[in-house]
Amino acid sequence: MITTSRLEPLPHVYPFRFVERTLERGEEGGLSGRVSAVVTANARRVQDGLLAPFTLAEMMAQAALLLQGGDPEIGKTGFLAGLSDFVVTRVPEAGDVLSINVRLAGRLGPAVKFDGRLSDDQGREVASCGITVRTGGP
Amino acid sequence: MSSVETAEDLKSRVKELIVRQLKLDIDPTSIRNEAPLFGDAAEGLGLDSIDALELVLGVEKEFGIKVQDEEVGVTAFASVDALCAFIQEKKG
Repeated sequence: MITTSRLEPLPHVYPFRFVERTLERGEEGGLSGRVSAVVTANARRVQDGLLAPFTLAEMMAQAALLLQGGDPEIGKTGFLAGLSDFVVTRVPEAGDVLSINVRLAGRLGPAVKFDGRLSDDQGREVASCGITVRTGGP
Repeated sequence: MSSVETAEDLKSRVKELIVRQLKLDIDPTSIRNEAPLFGDAAEGLGLDSIDALELVLGVEKEFGIKVQDEEVGVTAFASVDALCAFIQEKKG
């Protein structure tokens, strides 16, 4: 059960920017690609607070926004507007280096949907979901 | 879309698609053909821009057609009637 009152909004700016760097950028204007992130010991703490799944979703949203043309310094050009079919296969552990693959599923005006897949450095799937972001300001 | 599919069949199929794609907790038959899909919830379904994107993706997959932004914004997704007319036009 998720207690929403325990969840705080996660700003995209540092130190809440989870994604680190773009590893690959696909064709078609960079609307697909791969972004890396490292799970630190501090990140491990949030798992008991039921925040970890949302952190994984936020990582995929940040990767999607970064790859669709976001500001490389702050990684923000919009916000996470929706998730669908969100599945966490394995809780990441401290020291894991994660890769986030995002692929454009469709767009309509400022709303952009991506298919996201998060995997560890062994190629094992950690989480997947459909991510809808709204570009621009709220 | 089958060649023997009637206009009423298409409307039923579109309503079922709307409910399924947007995970709405309503009976598809309760959607009025002419009611606006977006905007004022009192008059219609009250869908928003995120719903619109989901609906576009669903229509593209279900009917094998491509929907362009400008087509959606103007009239194509105004109502079930408008969406069915749009699909029929695209399917030829």
